Amino acid sequence: MAARAHIDVGGILRPDGRLDLSTALQPYRQRLGERAAAHLLRRAGFGGTPDEIRRYAALDAPDAAQALLSLSPSRAIAPPPEVSAGGPIGKRKTRESLAALQLWWLNRMLTTPAPLQEKMTLYYHGHFTSRATPRFPEITYNQNALFRQYAAGNLRELTREVSKDAAMLIYLDGANNEASHPNENYARELMELFTLGVDNYTENDVRESARAWTGWRVFRRTDTVEFDPSRHDFGGKTFLGRTGNFTGDDIVDIIFDQPQCARFFAASLLNWFVYNDPEPELVDRVAALLRARGYELSPVIGTLLASNVFYSDRAYRALVKSPVEFVVGTYKTLGLSTVDESALAALQQMGQRLFFPPNVAGWPGGANWLTSGTMIARQNFLTRLLGSQTLAASSWLRDLPLTSASAAQDLAATVLQGDAAPASIAELEAYLGGKGSAALATLSVENYDQRVSGAVYLTMATPAYQLS
Amino acid sequence: MKRSNFILATVSGLAVVANPEHVFARALAQTPLPGLPGSERRCLVLINLFGGNDGLNCVVPHGDARYYQLRPGLAIAPGDVLAIDARTGLNPALRSLKTLYDKGTVAIVQGVGYPNPDHSHFRSTEIWQTAAPDRYEHTGWLGRYFDEGSFGRDEIFKGVALSRVLPEALVSDRTDIPAVAALGSYAMIADRNAAARDAFARQATDRSLPFASPYLAHVMEIEGDAQRSSEELPKLVAGYVTKASYPATALGRSLALAAQIVGSNLGTRAIYVEHGSFDTHVSQRTTQNRLLGEFSEAIGAFYADLAAHDDDRRVLTLTFSEFGRRIEENGNRGTDHGEASPLFMIGGGVKGGLYGTAPDLAATNMGNVRYTVDFRSVYATVLERWLGRPSATVLNGEFRRLPVLG
Repeated sequence: MAARAHIDVGGILRPDGRLDLSTALQPYRQRLGERAAAHLLRRAGFGGTPDEIRRYAALDAPDAAQALLSLSPSRAIAPPPEVSAGGPIGKRKTRESLAALQLWWLNRMLTTPAPLQEKMTLYYHGHFTSRATPRFPEITYNQNALFRQYAAGNLRELTREVSKDAAMLIYLDGANNEASHPNENYARELMELFTLGVDNYTENDVRESARAWTGWRVFRRTDTVEFDPSRHDFGGKTFLGRTGNFTGDDIVDIIFDQPQCARFFAASLLNWFVYNDPEPELVDRVAALLRARGYELSPVIGTLLASNVFYSDRAYRALVKSPVEFVVGTYKTLGLSTVDESALAALQQMGQRLFFPPNVAGWPGGANWLTSGTMIARQNFLTRLLGSQTLAASSWLRDLPLTSASAAQDLAATVLQGDAAPASIAELEAYLGGKGSAALATLSVENYDQRVSGAVYLTMATPAYQLS
Repeated sequence: MKRSNFILATVSGLAVVANPEHVFARALAQTPLPGLPGSERRCLVLINLFGGNDGLNCVVPHGDARYYQLRPGLAIAPGDVLAIDARTGLNPALRSLKTLYDKGTVAIVQGVGYPNPDHSHFRSTEIWQTAAPDRYEHTGWLGRYFDEGSFGRDEIFKGVALSRVLPEALVSDRTDIPAVAALGSYAMIADRNAAARDAFARQATDRSLPFASPYLAHVMEIEGDAQRSSEELPKLVAGYVTKASYPATALGRSLALAAQIVGSNLGTRAIYVEHGSFDTHVSQRTTQNRLLGEFSEAIGAFYADLAAHDDDRRVLTLTFSEFGRRIEENGNRGTDHGEASPLFMIGGGVKGGLYGTAPDLAATNMGNVRYTVDFRSVYATVLERWLGRPSATVLNGEFRRLPVLG
């Protein structure tokens, strides 16, 4: 019950203990080892296969961060064929193409050689939120591709681009924003949710920004976006204390010149990669770095992922896995090669449907992921997955030792990096060995599959497995 | 039937703290409802008629010639309307509801909506569920009600959503509300190793874990809740005998389970149910009449069942829909997204009748029914008068209560 007192509005919790600000962002100069490597791969991606964890374990922190940041180019990635059908498409096709797009992305998260690229794409999806435009799946795909292109790119440029992205123009009414009757929806959310936060601008700034954004149109059939000068308000505007004949791009530049904008993204990135509700002093340090680097993300993410604070005990298992991290991470851990369609219904029941964030503020995260309903959905997903897969499909489960003590140790080490209470590991060993139950024989070749899949379920049902 | 002519403020329903009427309403909120069980024994059943239920073909303005002009292909003929008075009546599919209305246990609140109506299903649903038309709230109005109440950790069924996914109305920061689509599905898949799993779960609460996490206690609590609630719910409601014949529809099954939960006395204060989709852009009549018929039949059975268990005065049912629909019909014998619409409050504690003002089809908001009652007034009434809790913090403001209850 004590932990309840820590929950502030939003169910977002900061870890206990004190921050050492002087060393927080300094590089962590040690060889990672498996526990820290698994931590890094969970945060920078969707967890690691046992092989990936071993590979990263041999690196030191700066090298590991650099390895994750050397991203392969994203333009080569083709969307699923169901998406390229052109629009508009009928109702049934709509369901199929959305499911195809969701599965395509989940599988990309699972199999990509550049997991950080997908992790940042997911970050942007929850940050610069847009809902799917179901009858025109290409529009949804193209926004996803834009996010991937800017995975570790320049935040200011991405903000300019996403402001003129078809999915965004549709979702936040930018396409209906004309000089003759301005629509303020995008102008408001751009500042409130995407770049500055409430109370850092006036209602007049919203109105003036909306005028600057007038004139953009979307042609859904061809997924093209055009600037129509006849709809644009060319009059002078006063925005955040500056006056001029501003366009949307100018608005973004003025916003990014505000120190608050850097603080806003610094807090957001710390929440995503390190721990929730970061200390204001830490936020200021990262904000200064963002400004010094001109909002280039690559060096900033590189600093975060190699830092002492990232590898501190306070950051370890300090985040709640999102449903996508839980599902993709489970496939990864088991060494399975494909996410199948059953994952989509499970994700929805866990509270995260890709391309359908709950509202423009995105998924609130933290304690909000966990209710008894979503917890049952998590456990039932595991039961179904483990029941439907043969262990032969898993690269390492087929090779566990046939003695229950060693098998229990191996499972706890590979799935949880040892983050289980000794009593739980003892329980696991007892289960594998059939102790305490007349119905269960000792572990053998005959009962191996059934017993090991039950033991994997038990291992993944532990509290640590819900945490990143 | 005495018709209540209480007319609500036409602007926003916002009452100023100094308003004497507000002081009166506050005093009213603190008086018990005579003849009804105490608020701790009362339950709210919230039914989301999702998709945007067309208000004009639900509560029909059959005395208004404009209605027939604007809906040449869709209007319900005067002879078919279940008349309440010379001006207003009910859709003929609402026969069972009309029976309850005639008994005086149905209140119809007309013209319910909010300022600057949003025409998106998604956003408007969110506005109704979070009770926040002017900002983004990640918690729902009932979620905040639960967060602010002093419920014990053992009251795991204080709120129940009869849906696959927890609706936004019940999303909270500190309260775990189970989403139970059906008794059978709200369960850990029975696995052959249930005993071992339970033993493991017990051991998992061992505090000697080799890491600290700010979320660890929360995870353990929720895991415990999930196990306990999914195992206990079927046992706790097993003794209940259903005493009405429910229609074999999804809503019928949900309301049968709702009656079972209420009658099993689990301390449940709110149950959430969904019914739809009412998004009738095309061939509205067939779809809406079917859905309203299903609603009416299920409600009839629900209150018969509740009455047979002497629970009908413990249950207030409140319907809502994200918006009503355009007054003028479209070219496809359907209607497009609109604004204000009526809602129903049903139950033994309700003072039946018509509330609010009938829709004015001449003075519209660009072809939509203007709202005359802020939906937060309805919520404030439910919170203060039915659930016995202050509403201002839950609703982020004071809203005038309706004299619908007690």
